[in-house]
Amino acid sequence: MSDDLIAVFQEELVELLESLERGLVDLQESPEDAGLINQVFRDLHTVKGSGAMFGFTDLAAFIHDFETAFEKVRAGAVPVTPELVRLGLAARDQIPGLVNGDADPDGDRVAILNALRDLTSGGGVAAADIDDEIEAEAVTSNAPATLRFKLSEDALALGARPDILLSELKDLGATQIVADLSDIPALDDLNADQCYVAWQMQLPAGVAEGDVEDVFMFADADWTLTATEVNEVVERDEIDDLLSEAPALDTPAPQQQAPSDKAPAATEPAASIRVPAARLDALMDSVGELVTVEARLTELARHSRDPALLSTAEEVTRLAARLRDATMTMRMVPMRTLVSRFRRLILGLSSDLGKPVEFVVDGEDTELDKTVIEKLADPLVHILRNAIDHGMEDPAARAQTDKDHVGRIELSATHVGGEVHIVVRDDGRGMSADKIRAKAIERGLITSEAQLTAGQVFALVLEPGFSTAETITELSGRGVGMDVVRRTIEGLRGVIEIDSKLGQGTTVTLRLPLTLAIIDGLLIEIADERYTLPMSSVKEIFELPLDKRIASRNGDYLDIRGQFVPFVRLRHLFDCEGEPPTEQNVVVVESGDARMGIVVDRIIGTNQTVIKQVSKLQQGARAISGATILGDGTVSLIVDVAQLLAMSGPLIEPKKEVAA
Amino acid sequence: MTKTVLTVDDSPSIRRMIALTLREAGYNVLEASDGQDGLEKATSSRVDAIITDQNMPRMDGISMIKALRQHPNGRGVPIVVLSTDSADTLKSQAREAGALGWMVKPFTQDKLLAVVKKVLG
Amino acid sequence: MTLAASHKIVITFSIGPQRLAIPATDLREIIDPLPTTRVPGAGDFAPWVVNVRGAVLPLGDLRLPLGINDPNPAERPEDARRFLVLEAVIGGEPTTVAVMADIVHEVATIPSKSIEPLPATSMWPSEFVEGLFKGPEGEFVLIPDLSAIFTAMAQRAAVA
Repeated sequence: MSDDLIAVFQEELVELLESLERGLVDLQESPEDAGLINQVFRDLHTVKGSGAMFGFTDLAAFIHDFETAFEKVRAGAVPVTPELVRLGLAARDQIPGLVNGDADPDGDRVAILNALRDLTSGGGVAAADIDDEIEAEAVTSNAPATLRFKLSEDALALGARPDILLSELKDLGATQIVADLSDIPALDDLNADQCYVAWQMQLPAGVAEGDVEDVFMFADADWTLTATEVNEVVERDEIDDLLSEAPALDTPAPQQQAPSDKAPAATEPAASIRVPAARLDALMDSVGELVTVEARLTELARHSRDPALLSTAEEVTRLAARLRDATMTMRMVPMRTLVSRFRRLILGLSSDLGKPVEFVVDGEDTELDKTVIEKLADPLVHILRNAIDHGMEDPAARAQTDKDHVGRIELSATHVGGEVHIVVRDDGRGMSADKIRAKAIERGLITSEAQLTAGQVFALVLEPGFSTAETITELSGRGVGMDVVRRTIEGLRGVIEIDSKLGQGTTVTLRLPLTLAIIDGLLIEIADERYTLPMSSVKEIFELPLDKRIASRNGDYLDIRGQFVPFVRLRHLFDCEGEPPTEQNVVVVESGDARMGIVVDRIIGTNQTVIKQVSKLQQGARAISGATILGDGTVSLIVDVAQLLAMSGPLIEPKKEVAA
Repeated sequence: MTKTVLTVDDSPSIRRMIALTLREAGYNVLEASDGQDGLEKATSSRVDAIITDQNMPRMDGISMIKALRQHPNGRGVPIVVLSTDSADTLKSQAREAGALGWMVKPFTQDKLLAVVKKVLG
Repeated sequence: MTLAASHKIVITFSIGPQRLAIPATDLREIIDPLPTTRVPGAGDFAPWVVNVRGAVLPLGDLRLPLGINDPNPAERPEDARRFLVLEAVIGGEPTTVAVMADIVHEVATIPSKSIEPLPATSMWPSEFVEGLFKGPEGEFVLIPDLSAIFTAMAQRAAVA
């Protein structure tokens, strides 16, 4: 640093000290003047910053504490008193000596800082440390790694430069750099300020995570660095490290179940090709349109009654279905892509929270639509975090139980019919249905008379109003953000269910459709309006018994082979006008454990349904999950069976229903 | 073409230090003494990058960045915030306002040059 | 650029007896009425959906938010009715919606100066009106605040 610059600094310091003195003196006159307080704070801040810049570290350290005290004044936590001003001035007077490098034989400086700290205590003034910058511990991977990165949406507008990033990465030894163009939208939707390209490349062994972090210091990007060859190797190493650090038996390190088979190796000899995701989306869109046209053709053929046209239409229907299935299969991605992230999360949380946990994964090969997988990551992170943070007992509390001292969190994914069930199960403390119930009543979510099944009680933690900052210990935070999780899952046309046993643990089940784009639908009619029911939830269809034509005051129930099944009249629910026809049909639907009948005027038939979202403007339509375009070009709304069941909640348990 | 860096700081010594360092390295440097001044200079002349202090009289760094990002000349210009504090709240504030990154004070001349090189290529 | 500052290009249309104008930049297209599908429980602002070239769009009715009363709906000729497809920002997100119009008049260039704020004593809801100007026959032409109207719709829908 040149002497010139030091001279400039010292000149500046003289001015700053004057300004500081004036500010402090004026503060005595007008102790509540926010402008003055800000000025004092700023002066201190500048002295500290410039002092540190020009090598006056003692000065900077001293001012840091001084500034911390005034930060509290600025925040309004500490009032300006004559004593504070006196100490401030005394501290100010120490500054020239600090700059000159004078010693402090009588400990005046420490005394002043201590007095300031006492005066403004209420949050300790930390020991002098201006060296805030903590160097991240270098984690060097000893295997080659794959780096993927994508700039955030606004990174280009903020001045980030992908070309610089790539050249720096090349300097690190990056090879096989591949640009992923799949997220580039159609020209009409293209925002010139946004970078849609993601990059993937190979980094050689020996590149530390910190090196990569350095590259992205000035670019807001999502990046992941994974060992290229065998994922488990790196993770194993991490575990071994943790194990060797663990002091003794009382805090055993988290254990991990090795994946039962190998990661899908890029070296697999199978004849596979990479296709950008955008092309798959475009293909899916075309298939969606084809399915709509196919519906129209079938309708025309039916009207024409021309046998040749009818058989051609049938052929097209079959081909369209095959093409749809093939396209959907292409979009399937195994759960495995998510699981390694979760392993890291659990590992980290386990050591952060001091709760030893074994994480067991089953069904990593279970496949879901890529859109579902992408949207599933955040909710699952949340659920897993809850499981370990709130679900697991502290080691001390767990020792009181007869459970193994290592907690167990299981994640499983299985195909069940047209759905995928993802289950997160912990063997922690569980939740008390009584307490949740009491809290829900307190929060006004349910009335004290409400009759709820256990599943319905636990579902209350998913309500937006359920959890607040002050929560009862046992449930603490269980519900934080769970309403967001539910919204995401419902946005995927999925269902979330919670079950728990006090002292034994909690199970969260996500039931998701295999695909988002196309479903088999059952087209029905009420009062000349046509609605679509998802075929996957339809169990059976029969005629409504004539004696049930008129609504009963005791609630509407059907006796289906000795079982009472409640039913709703879609005409009522959707405020249709006019009288129902004499002959009506009941469609029995099922979602989760709940079953109900839906009374409709007539069944039109089945069709392949391309799902379109309903606008935000129409969120009020609660039992509608989307819309689809029929063969004649009109729109048919898709009935949300899960929501319908939830809406008619009290009906689900016939035994509890009492005649008025 | 010579790149122009605008340094915004109420401390003349820091401003001078940044200006000297960058000029020696071949950059063109503009100086501004607070956010208001910085905003005027950034919108009226061609600037390739901005290095700004956080805490300044008249207009602080965050407000300046926010105002600048609204201005047609202020989009796409990389802005680095200087801070004596590495607190995450400040970082996220700066990020939200539209800063590209931050640099913790004190820093050396080498570090400054490395950062500017990282930003301008 | 100078024209944009001093003048506004608008589309004028009528709902019942009320003449309205929206900025041409908000309009995507004007189409003949399409078959509508009722959305139960969606509220009075946007009670239907329509299929506009493969996209399912909400169909809005501006009568309610703007408090337009049509004493003689039968007088509106059926074949003059149109749907306006608009781009609006709802809660910060750009969204496409359709609204019904009884008749579409013209594309007009009006001086920005001639646009006045709503008088304090007006019968129109001030939160949903950006301003008004005098039309060719001396009648008041309302400029609805589409974003405000649709955002309110979305909020009502969310509450419902």
